[in-house]
Amino acid sequence: MSVTPAIETAAPAVPLKVRLGGWGTGLMLLAVWLLLIVATGLYRQDFLSHQTLLAVTFTMAVVGVLAIGQGLVAISGGFIDLSQPANMILASLVAVRLSEAGMPLAVVIVGAILSGMLWGALNAAIVVFARLNPVIVTLATNFIGLAVLFLVFQLAEVPLNSEIYQFGRASFLGLPAIFWPMLALVLIVGLLMPRTRYGRRAIAVGGNKAAAKARGISLKLTRFAIFTIAGGFVGFASVLFAATAGPFNPGSANTLQLNIIAGVILAGISLAGGRGNFWMLLLSVGFLSTIPTSLVFFGLSSDTQSIFQGFILIIAVAIDGWRARKGTP
Amino acid sequence: MTDITAAPVRKGLSEDWRAILTGSVASISITFIAVIAIGWFWVGPKFLSFGNVSIMGTFLIVPLIVGAFSGFALLSGVVDLSIGSMVAFSSALFALLISLGWDPATTAVVTLVACLCFGGINAIAIVGFGAEPIAATLGMLVALRGIAWVLLGSQGTIFAFNIDMFNLISLQLFGLPLFFLVAIALTVVAALIVTRTRAGRHVQAVGGDDKAAARAGISVRGVRVAALLLSSFGAGLGGIVYAAQLGSAARATGFGLEFQVYAALMIGGYSILRGGVGNPIGGALGLLAVAGVSNILDLKAISPYYVNIIVGLLLLAAVLLDRIRGGDAYE
Repeated sequence: MSVTPAIETAAPAVPLKVRLGGWGTGLMLLAVWLLLIVATGLYRQDFLSHQTLLAVTFTMAVVGVLAIGQGLVAISGGFIDLSQPANMILASLVAVRLSEAGMPLAVVIVGAILSGMLWGALNAAIVVFARLNPVIVTLATNFIGLAVLFLVFQLAEVPLNSEIYQFGRASFLGLPAIFWPMLALVLIVGLLMPRTRYGRRAIAVGGNKAAAKARGISLKLTRFAIFTIAGGFVGFASVLFAATAGPFNPGSANTLQLNIIAGVILAGISLAGGRGNFWMLLLSVGFLSTIPTSLVFFGLSSDTQSIFQGFILIIAVAIDGWRARKGTP
Repeated sequence: MTDITAAPVRKGLSEDWRAILTGSVASISITFIAVIAIGWFWVGPKFLSFGNVSIMGTFLIVPLIVGAFSGFALLSGVVDLSIGSMVAFSSALFALLISLGWDPATTAVVTLVACLCFGGINAIAIVGFGAEPIAATLGMLVALRGIAWVLLGSQGTIFAFNIDMFNLISLQLFGLPLFFLVAIALTVVAALIVTRTRAGRHVQAVGGDDKAAARAGISVRGVRVAALLLSSFGAGLGGIVYAAQLGSAARATGFGLEFQVYAALMIGGYSILRGGVGNPIGGALGLLAVAGVSNILDLKAISPYYVNIIVGLLLLAAVLLDRIRGGDAYE
């Protein structure tokens, strides 16, 4: 897009020297999140309850794992993966079918992850071999994928009292069981990205692909790896989704998409690629997941939720654009 | 394609052939003719009967209007994803005010001004702050959908049937819906503006290379703000037409319209990732081709989901053509 040149010139001059930065983003997010919690708590004392904590962490789980996948695509310069809904529904269907066949939970999880990785690899194949922009490729594969899924099934649900069903309703240390894998994944990815060779390569490709190429990093292999791994995260998110969503249809994941993109941008993971800290996802996703519950306590209808989320996203990208323009990442 | 952005000149004998096969309106014209031919042979002459074209035309009025206006945003290099929700918001506001007993003309003006305000917010975020257009207008898409749903209230539908408006929108000329012909005329006017006027060339120049355009003394920011405002104006107009056609506004109105319209526009030669390419005629042909495909499947009683599969494949083919034509290769 025509504004990217400006952003690219603002990218760090030494691309392989990865910025850990963005703690300012973290403090700001934390402040806004606390403000929301305190404001709601003052308005309605009963907001500050274990019930609210359960609701927020429950929402965070699926969104958080999807946001890791989206963040990986964004940080490596792939911009956005718009096909996450189709990928997730396909992997969820795989999870449902496997658990209907009586498979143990481990097999269900592996099956869903493989399905997700396969989808990611398919996107990557089109992106790499046809040299097309991922935004349009994933827009098209989402179109095609959801249409095919609608032809395949109308409604699916994990069998009652199957292992995955139990997992979706279990709790651990007072929080939903599905929250913990999300927390672990965000912490691990956030730890590994700036500290391992492969993580730094991915960030370098996103920051300045010409420089990355000059350093001998294969752009094609990196794209393939990133899309496949990001697909794997979507696959795992599908397990959490299928475990908790109840009956779902091919359109059920559409509403998640924007929340995830908003989460990634708010976390300071630049859509232009090359910078971001995955740990921030905990704050941004936490903040976004608190909004629905907060609004309920303020007595506002669930429709107003999208108004807030939409304007928060606009403000976040405006700040993101402003920073890139001023060259202070 | 007539553009002043001067596509990179490649020397070679195959240049002319390449131009014929990959020119922006050329490829969509071939697709469009292919769709008509398939319809003619598979469905029979009734595919092109006045009755059938009239049905297609009725459904095409809103996409054609929305596409003609939002094409300017694409051309200037800022994609506006909020058009679908803008249509929803416009139809909801229009229906609400009509149901409160407002006069249609005043309501239309108020609705359009409201849409322009939200288009202005897009412009401030994108042009003023340098926000990424896809992400910023995605935010507006969500926000406006929320606002539309709040306006529609707990019922989710507002009935605002007005017999005068309905009669106006249903007028026929030569056996076709009058407003379908108006929308086609609008497309032609837009195409003339793009290719024949100074303003149109400025829009193309800004989309093609904003730095070069700025050096040439064109106000890049001014053009982009105007393009975003036009885009929201067109979507507002589309919403009003919907409300008049249906006599109501509902939660599903305009849902997903942005992807349908942009997929068709991209099939028609526009690009949502770089400005300066595409032509309103090509975009309209893209919309007609997609409508033709869905009409054929409809008449053959085939599941409408196949339309999305075909649209997705056409979309990939179109962007591949765009790249061959000189679009940025992605690495």
